[in-house]
Amino acid sequence: MSSLIDPIREGLKRGWKVMGGAHGPVPAKITCDVAIVGSGAGAGITAELLTKAGLNVVIIEEGQLKSSSDFNQKESEAYATLYQEAAGRKTKDKGITILQGRTVGGTTTVNWTSSFRTPDDTLKFWQDNYGLGDYNPQALAPYFQQAETRLNIGPWLTAPNENNEVLRRGALKLGIPSDSIKRNVKGCYNLGSCGLGCPTNAKQSMLVTTIPAALDKGATLLVETRVHKFDISNGHITGLQCIAVKPNAAPVDTAQTATQVIAKHYVLAGGAINSPALLMRSEAPDPHNLLGTRTFLHPATVSTAVMPLTINGWSGAPQTIYSDHFLNTQAIDGPMGFKVEAPPLHPVFFGANLPGFGESQAKLFRQFPQASVLVVIMRDGFHAQSPGGKVELRKDGSPLLDYPLTDFVLDGARRAFLAMAEIQFAAGAKTVYPAHEMAGGYTSWAETKKVIEALPMKPLLTKIGSAHVMGGCGMAGDEKRGVTRPDGQHWQIDNLSIHDGSLFPTSIGANPQLSIYGTVNRLAQGLARRLTGLEVTLA
Amino acid sequence: MQRRTLLKLGIGSAVVLAVAGGAIALLQPGLQGGKLTERSRLVMGRVGQAMLAGTLPADAGPNQIAINGMLDRLDQLIATTPNHVQAELTELLGLLATAAGRRGLVGLSPSWEEATVAEIGEALQSMRLSSISLRQQAYQGLHELVSVAYFSGSDSWAVLGYPGPLAI
Repeated sequence: MSSLIDPIREGLKRGWKVMGGAHGPVPAKITCDVAIVGSGAGAGITAELLTKAGLNVVIIEEGQLKSSSDFNQKESEAYATLYQEAAGRKTKDKGITILQGRTVGGTTTVNWTSSFRTPDDTLKFWQDNYGLGDYNPQALAPYFQQAETRLNIGPWLTAPNENNEVLRRGALKLGIPSDSIKRNVKGCYNLGSCGLGCPTNAKQSMLVTTIPAALDKGATLLVETRVHKFDISNGHITGLQCIAVKPNAAPVDTAQTATQVIAKHYVLAGGAINSPALLMRSEAPDPHNLLGTRTFLHPATVSTAVMPLTINGWSGAPQTIYSDHFLNTQAIDGPMGFKVEAPPLHPVFFGANLPGFGESQAKLFRQFPQASVLVVIMRDGFHAQSPGGKVELRKDGSPLLDYPLTDFVLDGARRAFLAMAEIQFAAGAKTVYPAHEMAGGYTSWAETKKVIEALPMKPLLTKIGSAHVMGGCGMAGDEKRGVTRPDGQHWQIDNLSIHDGSLFPTSIGANPQLSIYGTVNRLAQGLARRLTGLEVTLA
Repeated sequence: MQRRTLLKLGIGSAVVLAVAGGAIALLQPGLQGGKLTERSRLVMGRVGQAMLAGTLPADAGPNQIAINGMLDRLDQLIATTPNHVQAELTELLGLLATAAGRRGLVGLSPSWEEATVAEIGEALQSMRLSSISLRQQAYQGLHELVSVAYFSGSDSWAVLGYPGPLAI
């Protein structure tokens, strides 16, 4: 428990308008200028800009309001209280486990601070295939710049921790380019607990930046309140209905008495998977059957190495070194490329992601301080055989993503296992364990290479996860190819904007938070202009 | 020839599992009031002993204490999961508790009470590498429950050499 000031508790003392859960009941009806669904990357940027423009804003978040006083760096509590489905959200066939935030600040409260502008070749693909001519690096640059200033995104000047050093050293030995990752931190203590909630408020998530700014300007925040549906009539939202929910997402009250929020304009920023699901529950117009399709995950996998030196992978800033080499060894629309990074390593993450069980793992557990893990994120959505997944609704209205792990994706995983193992051995690894149920631990690159090349790359045997959810309400220059217009408004609903990661027509090919900040910065400035005539900027 | 009962399960996509044996009586739910029933504690305890063999203390007394700690944490973990996860889990655990489920899904012949850790381990291996995706899904589900419940406990940290939360 930190003795540092908790900016959320201080804000509440100053009189922030927060309701729901422990903060008191939500009234039966609320009227405002703009209702924002969600409180993550896109919601926060939007809330700050719209309140700057003088609008009366209500932010509606299904998760709890947790802050630095609560962030005690314990996985058991963090996963249960800050993540969707207790960090166990899965695709329909259980092949992929998805980490997504469910708390004020959204996934930005639990992400690992990695900040990359949208890659040029991703933007080119959008221009060429989705009629998004305005999505080019020059046009977006000022919006990225403002976000970088506002969120203190800059070079990380501290030496990489040992886990990241393995990537740097191994890549260097192999002649593979690597570089350091910019981070959205201010006064970082170099702990490594970013994924459990930053206990020092160094991480410039929405929780400690834009949401407080909006609340200081009079916005209202509803927490532990899930928007169940929009009431839509003739292409226009007349109101939304939200219900009180428990920390495990179950409705508090079986009668599900709803609060009605009526606004002039609605901004949907619940994140991929959640935003399409809400529109489906609302039976939103979807004339081209696009809603929920093309949902991307940057399918991720890992390789665990036992090094001859102490790594202490839980300690020190995570993801400070990366390599884009394997994104560039083939065309963007060729076999799936991937980015290589080095994640934080805490006990549950380590233990749950290792294949096998029993005696064969027991020795490895005891070597945890010498364990080094590399992770890849695969760039999905650029090839005909990589159409991503589709969001469905369960009977209770909760979202379920059907993302089949095809041979095309799993071929990427095989190449990723090879790349990670080669880097780890080049860095001096003693033993490498690819994340596949039919792989053990091997003590030479030659042996590991042979094993990986012969592995049956099948779902469930190959351990795949995701920390980046994108798409499902994709933007396009015409309504046949997108749910959303290039300016962020829904093609068929005149008072709805979508300002979150579900906008992306493909995966980003880089950790997505800055792509959301930059894109939504431009969209929200446009929205503020349309609603008030005023020019506002993020920085 | 034994009469085969087709059991349609809600786990993953709709899959039909053929299990040998007589008619399966109504499954007793594996969770009661959101917590593991006594029978489920027995099953998960035995699964935990096999999955964590070599990591848990070898002596019976300390081993059982560690398992009880894991089971208590498992109850806490289950309470944090959404209703749809609890619905699947109550069905899976209910099925595993029956002889037909134990034989058909896990591949374990002796009862949960009598099976040795080695026998349970062999059965779990057959699930883990099974060509039937339902068996693989069930194995991965059990592995996740045991891993998260075990590694979120501070008694696992001593084994791992993990110092716990870092001082600020």
